[in-house]
Order: sequence, then structure tokens, then C-alpha cells
Amino acid sequence: MNTLTRATAAATALAALLALTACSSKAKDGDDGSKSAGGVKTGEGVSGKTINLGVLTDMTGVYATLGKSVTQAQQLYVDQTNADGGICGHKLKLTVRDHGYDPQKAVAAYTELEPKVLGFAQFIGSPFVAAVERRIEGDRGLVLPQAWSSNLLGNTYVRVIGSTYDLETINAIDFLMKEKGLKKGDKIGHVYFEGDYGESALKGSRHMAEEAGLTVVEQKIKPTDNDMTAQVSALKKAGVKGIVISAGPRQAASLVGVAAAGRFDVPVIGNNSAFAPQLLATQSGPALQKNYYVASPTLPIGADTEAAKKLVADYKKAHPKDSLDNGVVAGWTAAAVFGEALKKACADKDLTRAGVDKALLTIDAFDSGFGVPQDFTDPSSPSSRQSVILRPSAKATGGMKVVREPQAAKATEGYTAG
Amino acid sequence: MSDVLARSARSAGRTLLTRRRAYAWAAATAVLLAMPFYLDRFWLQAGLFAMAAAIGAIGINLLTGATGQLSMGHAFFLAIGAYGYCVLAGDGGDGLTGLGLPTWIAATLAVGLAGLAGGLFSPIAGRLRGAYLGIATLALIFIGQHVLFNAHDLTGGSNGRDVPPLHLFGLTFDESEAVVAAVPFGAAEKLWYAGLVLLLACGLFARGVLRGRPGRAMNAIRDHRVAAGVIGVPVARYRAGVFVLSSMYAGLAGVLLALVFQRTVPDYFGMTLSLEYLAMIVIGGLGSVSGAVAGAALVSLLPQLLTRYSDALPLVSAPGSGGVAPGEASRYLYGAAVVAVVLFLPGGLVRITARRGTPTPGTSSGTSSGETA
Repeated sequence: MNTLTRATAAATALAALLALTACSSKAKDGDDGSKSAGGVKTGEGVSGKTINLGVLTDMTGVYATLGKSVTQAQQLYVDQTNADGGICGHKLKLTVRDHGYDPQKAVAAYTELEPKVLGFAQFIGSPFVAAVERRIEGDRGLVLPQAWSSNLLGNTYVRVIGSTYDLETINAIDFLMKEKGLKKGDKIGHVYFEGDYGESALKGSRHMAEEAGLTVVEQKIKPTDNDMTAQVSALKKAGVKGIVISAGPRQAASLVGVAAAGRFDVPVIGNNSAFAPQLLATQSGPALQKNYYVASPTLPIGADTEAAKKLVADYKKAHPKDSLDNGVVAGWTAAAVFGEALKKACADKDLTRAGVDKALLTIDAFDSGFGVPQDFTDPSSPSSRQSVILRPSAKATGGMKVVREPQAAKATEGYTAG
Repeated sequence: MSDVLARSARSAGRTLLTRRRAYAWAAATAVLLAMPFYLDRFWLQAGLFAMAAAIGAIGINLLTGATGQLSMGHAFFLAIGAYGYCVLAGDGGDGLTGLGLPTWIAATLAVGLAGLAGGLFSPIAGRLRGAYLGIATLALIFIGQHVLFNAHDLTGGSNGRDVPPLHLFGLTFDESEAVVAAVPFGAAEKLWYAGLVLLLACGLFARGVLRGRPGRAMNAIRDHRVAAGVIGVPVARYRAGVFVLSSMYAGLAGVLLALVFQRTVPDYFGMTLSLEYLAMIVIGGLGSVSGAVAGAALVSLLPQLLTRYSDALPLVSAPGSGGVAPGEASRYLYGAAVVAVVLFLPGGLVRITARRGTPTPGTSSGTSSGETA
């Protein structure tokens, strides 16, 4: 093979390539993709009579339990909405991609689904949301993350539903001070995960400590630390009067169990991710029911409301073997928020991405039936500042009952995550 | 007489083979060059992940495949490349440390930085062998993860930091659209060509190293360290040098990955990533460049493809209906593919082509790897 033929081959290939691009489906043809059907403007993600929504979940990685509950609840919402005739005469369709908490798969799944969907009803993993955040700004599709980190605020298209971890922590400490005898000058322990979740919560406890004159004793742990003996003895030595835990259910169970075994009798309160109903069946069960509280952005699945009871019944019917946890509420609420935005967008005859964003910004008191009104008018703040205080109870549906109705502590007013 | 005939027949066969190979190369090049005009972003991005992985895999194949030094710390050097680039090129606008260097200098320096880190570690790498080196390099992963999560000013903590887009020859590799032959060129399309050039350069360089004197010395160290020393190979120096070179390949892979991701997140650079790189070279074929590229393509593309087509996989049920979920199924298939390759192609994927090339099987089984680049 001599150089000449090789060069000819290359030139031919290049010529062929340039000639062929004329018929590439990627070539621009001046159509911006928006069309009008029955007076309603539609764009990306709406094909024929179907509204496509994306779900980027984790059903095989570290958040597998949460991802499963959230996705099943969202599928339930979609099925029921479609049975009632859909939205705007369109059926909803979820396309689920399981990224298994792997950044490469998460980014790949976003890239794959983005051109096909109107928006994302679920996106688990705040590092991955952060990874594609700049692209979300360009793509303008609404993304509802299943993460409550204050770092996610401020983007018009990424909307956190419910109070963020820092606000939740402020409300949690407020509860300890008002009802559990914690007072000015006391020390409070805060055990938190390294990373987004824990550090976001820590911002809250530091703010509250400053406002209320408390001292925070910080204990940073890794998600792989399961035994809290060292942390409990350190906090006991420091003489704390209450403990906040921003970690996983396992760590909370260990902390409460170890503290109870050592007769270290202080109230412990966790963020909403620090509890799972399965814990009640473990050895820590009795101690948890005695000394443990959980702050949550909405009423629990076992709440005494019409909507909660219906959801429990429907979910049990669809998934008889799966446990009812807060992921079900979170998933349902997110899907309902998306549905509400779609309904408003439909009323404005604009089912494009821009139309949905505009519609969402007009929703100021949406309640999916779990007690807390959500206000989406300001992208720079979470949709609510309220938290509900719950306590574990083996008898309640979902293992939780309400001890304090939704309310926002005074310290949350004027607080912005810095 | 028959001897001459046989020889001429063989040489005719060889020219036919070279010609056929040249056509194959030309066709492959044309296809690769044309891809950004046709494929949508998902495929380009998947291809870019594969290219970055291939560069990293060539690096670890020089170290583990050709020189026989087990490294579990490859992800650490990838992280140095990725974060090094961000720190050097960042302008500090997001409140994180950034030196604001021109991006192409930053990219070069980041690769150098990874090499430097490898050089600092090489006294240890020069002393330890086999599983001991594996364990020692494992420490790098843990140190790396700790630093990535906690050195907030440099790394941005758990949510990572934005990657400044590359500027080169007046071209910016970001989302700003340039229209080429009526096709809009975004970040993925432009980076595709950068990735191809880098991969080609890296592959040719590694092939040169492996086919020349250093490659023979490295293989000698792998097969018998003492014998290599006796015939005059400076064993310690070679081992340290290969470690530095492999770290630089990892650094470059890190820079390219960062540019594709547009954001570096610490979760990515964990132990799983190191293990994936080892899997790539085992699947592809130890000690060869084409093996590393083939293995990298398989390992990085398979999970993405299985996730994408998870709905269409057999035996898969809808999420929540109690059967095997799509995500789980794709993991089983991935595992099965890895086992199948290792079981039926013990020399790696390169054996498929090598087996066709060598008419007498059996002669090449002893010195399995090494020469198939």
C-alpha cells in the first residue's frame, strides 16, 4: 500500500463524508421543534398524545431502598392520572433509568433522556444533579431532585421540594429547645455524614447555635461507619444535652442503641433520611421509640389525612410486599408537583418546557395531601421552611407518628444558606 | 525449488494482508471521523468516556500488563489529572482556588502533575512487588478520597467543581454551537476529535515503547526480575519510570474525563474505578495497546448500553413488580460478559484477531501477551 493510494482513500472518505452529512438527521432544518396541537403549544418531550417524563433513580446502589419507593410512588401517580384521562388529553409516561449511584451512568442517562423528555420527575444524587447543572440551565427542562441540599438552590430549573436539610436541622433543634428542655448555654452534639447531606445540615445547626446561644459539638463520620460507640462516648464526655444526627438509618439506630445501653439519656433527633421503618424490628427498636425523633419535610405516610390514607391503600394494593416509608411520600409529592405544573401549563395552552417553568413559578400553595403547603414562586429558596417532628412507633403505619404539626422555627426566617 | 515457491506465495499473502489491513484502517478512520455528524450526544459521550478510559487503560497496561506491577491506585492519578486541570485552569470565580492559566497549559501541567505524583510514589513502587504493591497503592485511593471530600478550597467538596472548557487554537470546547456542514457542533462533537487525536498519539507512543528496547526490558522484568537484572536491565529505574509514565497516562485520561463530564465529582474516583481499569486490561489483553483499547471500550460502554436498553432486555420486569429490575439485569449481564471473556478468551479480546493472524496456534501460548500490539 503506497502513500498515494492511502491519501486518495482518505480524500475520498472525506468527500463522501461531507456529501453524506447533507442527509444527517442532526442537520438543522430551521424547525425549532415547537408545534401546535389543538391550540396547545408543545415542544420537546411531548410526542403525539404522550407527555414523556424522565426518572433518574438509583435502584441498585446506595440509595436503592429510597429509589424503589420513590419510583413506585411516581409510577402509581402516573397510572392514576392516566386512568382519570391524563393531563390536557395527554397521557403521562415515565422513562426510568437506574444509574446505581454511578456518576458516569447518571450523566449518560441524563444525556440520553434529555432530548426525549419534557422534564425529570426524579433525580437521585445531588452530586450528579450538580454535575449536569450547567447543562440543565441550557436545556431548560424542569428537574425535581430527590435531595434536600441547600447547594441545589438558585437554579430556575432545579427545584427542591420541601425544606432543605439546613432548615430541617434548625427546626429539629427548635423542637429540642421548646419541648425537650434544651436551653441557652447548653451543648448539643451533631453527628453528620461527610459530604453534601451532612454538611448542609451542619450549616443549619451552626446557624441555630448562634441564634439560640448553644455550642455545637461536631462529630463527622463516613457513610461506611456503622458503629457509633466512639461518637457516643465523645459526646457523653463533652456533656451534651441533646444530639442531632444527619446520617443514615443504620447510624441512627447504633447511636440511639449505644446511648441507651450506656444510660446516656438525652433526646436524639435525626433528619428525614436517618430513619427507616425496618429499624423498629431491630434490637434498637425499644430505645428508638423512647428517645428518638425525626424531622421531616411533610407528614408521614401514616398521617391521618384523606390523601395519605388513599395513598397507603393504593400503594399497598400495587406493591403488597414493599414497606411503606417516606420515599413513597416524597415520590408522590414530586410527581404531584410536576402534574400540577403540567395542569397549569395546559390551562395556559403552553406545554413546552418554558411553559411548564412559567406555570411552576405561579404555584404558591400546593398541598399534595401531606400537610405542608409548597411555594414555588422563588427559585432561590426551597418550597417550604416547615418541618414536621415525628417519632418512631411500631404501631403506626410506616412506623412513624406525628408529635409536632408542621411549623417553621423563628430562626428559619431570614436564614439563607451561605 | 518448492522452497522458493512457498516463500513467494507467503510474501504475496503478506502484501494482500497489509493491503486489506490498510483498507480496514482507512474505513475505520472515515467512520470515526464521520460519527459526530450522525450520532446524537448520548453516543458521542459514551464514545468519549471510552476514549478517556482507553488512554487510562493503556497507561495501566504498561505498568501492570507489560511490567507486571499491580496497581490499585490508578483512580488516584486520574483524580490528580482531573482536579489538577480544574485548579490550574479555574479562574477562581466560583470561590474555589484557581490559577487561571490558559487551559492548554493547564492540561499539560495537570498531566505533568500526575506524573510528579507517580514519581513521588515511585520509591515505594520500586521496592514493592505483586500483591504488596497492590496494597500500598490501595492506600492512595483512601488518601485521595479523603482529600477530595475535605480539601474544599481545591476540590469543591462532595459536590465537586466545574471544569473550565478547553480553549485551543481559538476553538472553545464548550456548548457554544459552531455549525459545520449544517450540523450543530456542541461540546461532545468538538471533544470527539480532540479525544481521537489524543488516543491516537497515546496509542502510538505506547506502541513505540512496547516494541522497542524499553518494552523488551519491561517484559523481562515482568517475567523474571533477577534474570532481567543479570542481563543488565536497571530494574529499579525501569520500574520507577514505568510508574511515572503510567501515572501520566492516567492524568491525561483524567483531564479528558473532566472535560467530558464538565464537572468533577469525588464519588467517581473511588476503588471501583481502579478495579474497572484492571478489568479492562484483563478483558482486553495484558501488555498490549490494542488490548487496552478493546477492553476499555467494552468495560465503559457495556454498562451504559445495558442501562439504555434495559427496557428491551429479556427476563426483565417493570420496576417494582418483583422480578429482576433493569438495573440489576444489566449488572448480571455485565458480570456474565466479563466471566465469559476471561473463561473463553484467556489472552483477552486481542486474541480473537491474533488467532486469525498466526497460522500455527500453540507456539504463541507460552509468551501470551506482549507482542500483539
